[in-house]
Amino acid sequence: MAEAMADSYNGDSEPTTRTLLRRVLDTADTRTPRRRRSARVGAQKALLETPSSRRLSSPTKMNVRRHSHRVRSIGRLAHVHTSGNVEEQTPRTLLKNILLTAPESSIMRPESVVKPVPTPQVVQSSRRDSSRGSLELQLPELEPPTTLALGLLAPGRRKQRLRLSVFQQGMDQGLPLSQEPRGNASASSLTSSLNLTFATPLQPQSVQRPGLARRPPTRRAVDVGAFLQDLRDTSLALASPGDSLRTPVATLPADTVLEDTQPFSQPLVGRSPSGYHSLTCLSHTEVEDAERAVSLRTQSSGPRLQNHSLYVCPAESPGCWFLLHVRAESVLDQDTPNKYHPGKPAELLAGKAKKVDAHAVSFPNNSSAISGEDGVEPLQDGVDEEAEERMEESLSVSEVMDTTGTQGSVRTEKSKRHREMSEAVEAKEPEGSSGDEDISGRRASPELASSTTEFLQARQPQFLEPALPPSTAVLSSEPLEPLPTRLPPRARTPGPRPRQDPHKTGLSHYVKLFSFYAKMPMEKKALEMVEKCLDKYFQHLCDDLEVFAAHAGRKTVKPEDLELLMRRQGLVNDQVSLHVLVERYLPLEYRQLLIPCAFSGNSVFPAQ
Amino acid sequence: MAFSTTVSQRKHIKRKAPRGFLKRVFKRQKPHLRLETSGDLLVHLNCLLFVHRLAEETRMNAFENKCGVIKKEHVQAAAKVILKKSRG
Repeated sequence: MAEAMADSYNGDSEPTTRTLLRRVLDTADTRTPRRRRSARVGAQKALLETPSSRRLSSPTKMNVRRHSHRVRSIGRLAHVHTSGNVEEQTPRTLLKNILLTAPESSIMRPESVVKPVPTPQVVQSSRRDSSRGSLELQLPELEPPTTLALGLLAPGRRKQRLRLSVFQQGMDQGLPLSQEPRGNASASSLTSSLNLTFATPLQPQSVQRPGLARRPPTRRAVDVGAFLQDLRDTSLALASPGDSLRTPVATLPADTVLEDTQPFSQPLVGRSPSGYHSLTCLSHTEVEDAERAVSLRTQSSGPRLQNHSLYVCPAESPGCWFLLHVRAESVLDQDTPNKYHPGKPAELLAGKAKKVDAHAVSFPNNSSAISGEDGVEPLQDGVDEEAEERMEESLSVSEVMDTTGTQGSVRTEKSKRHREMSEAVEAKEPEGSSGDEDISGRRASPELASSTTEFLQARQPQFLEPALPPSTAVLSSEPLEPLPTRLPPRARTPGPRPRQDPHKTGLSHYVKLFSFYAKMPMEKKALEMVEKCLDKYFQHLCDDLEVFAAHAGRKTVKPEDLELLMRRQGLVNDQVSLHVLVERYLPLEYRQLLIPCAFSGNSVFPAQ
Repeated sequence: MAFSTTVSQRKHIKRKAPRGFLKRVFKRQKPHLRLETSGDLLVHLNCLLFVHRLAEETRMNAFENKCGVIKKEHVQAAAKVILKKSRG
């Protein structure tokens, strides 16, 4: 009987205590036989035990959470005393007491029990319905075709928590044939979701709907070093004798990336392999490239170096080099070794420059500046001086010469073909010459120079202009050049003395304030820097005020514009008003002038 | 009775505003514009606040570098930040 009862109540074990008890109440009459059998134990305890024992006696997967210990113990005990307790009171009253006292918290637990068992219970009677009610409630939207009927209210609480995970389950698994696995899944997910009320339902099971899964974008770290190495490798691999076109493009970026921190070194995309010798503006990259070429590559790399060098400078003097580029292309195709030589003078030129140490920064400037200036001078002074200059500068650079020297003689012959451009360039590049190259250079230069003087003079105006900007740019670093320095931005009127003195005295007022606010000793240079900053600040200030006044349609700057400016600067905000600042920082007399204040006689000053 | 717009001679204002200087600077920069009477006082206030912020930032830079003396680099770095802030 006990087993029979236990078996009969297998279904009861699934649902909650309440449902079980209710069922028991409904079927209370059928249980009378039990009374006869056993009558023992205290009423309350028995009452508690009976429904729980019924629940627990059956081999359930019920993992009792709340009542776990108590219920289990009671269950064990009740297992023995199952039927006896009922005799004390009417089962209905007992069960009613239990219903009243039994907490509803155990609702959670039964879910796991409910879910696994739904399938076998489907066929059963309404009892099962209640047990499966929770499951049904959660899954209705997912599985309309489920045979489970909507259940009791008790499972309603589970509904919310389950929904997300169960939904996820449902979405992932669609409408599976068997409910059990789903039940299991939902059970596990339920437990997990129960643990965290709003647990992110991220694929506890397989994600069959990848769209729902949120995977973080896989980001592969780019190894810059490897990338550059690859570039070099490819460039080297491509560095075949005939392939001058591609290699420079490949190599240069790597070179420039690694060595050229100079903003002037232009990325040479589509550089024509212009072995244009006459490239005066040799940057230090050329020197470096030359060195590398010597070490790594064959002579064929020479033209590549040329290309490097040729293109590094063009930006600096775009006007003059434009023609050179065009020419260079034509030259390159024919004269591989020859290309090298125009670069040499430029290299030498760079070499002579002070910062030969391969600091890209100054080199392009220097080379261009020097070349520019020298280009100007020889035009004026004559060609002979160029050779001398070249001689001097050639001494400084040694490495490049060796490689280029041999080619120097070759180029002289071929250069005549492109005399015009080369002449112009060579005239521009007065120095370039390292030891060996000097000779060849000297040989070349007199030949070319003599014939090109007129040509050079024709080009003079063109070259002068581009020469000047780079030269002025370089002047800051190179004190050699006699060209006039750039004018300071604020000196507009002639006669610096009368202009700056009152201006400086006015500024010194604020500089003194600065040193007062700083409360620390300051260097003189720092004070000068502060002056410059104040200058800039005043410029910005006036511009802003003009904009504000124009925005208001006025030609007079009013205090409202000032207030707007301070608001935009963040000095005035809702917490701090302009008046507050005036009070804080300005002396009283000014405050009286700025902030309206009422006076006797019904007057306000300043008038609003 | 309205207050006088001028300050009496005997009063000595501490930290006077170089009103003439400010007016001259503005006129030189924007000759086609005018500046109102009290405007230059507010300009002076703006300058004070700017210098104040600049000094604070410079001091911070100097402290960070553990220098007891303010150097040009500190001022330069501070100026970059503060000028950007004061752009409006």
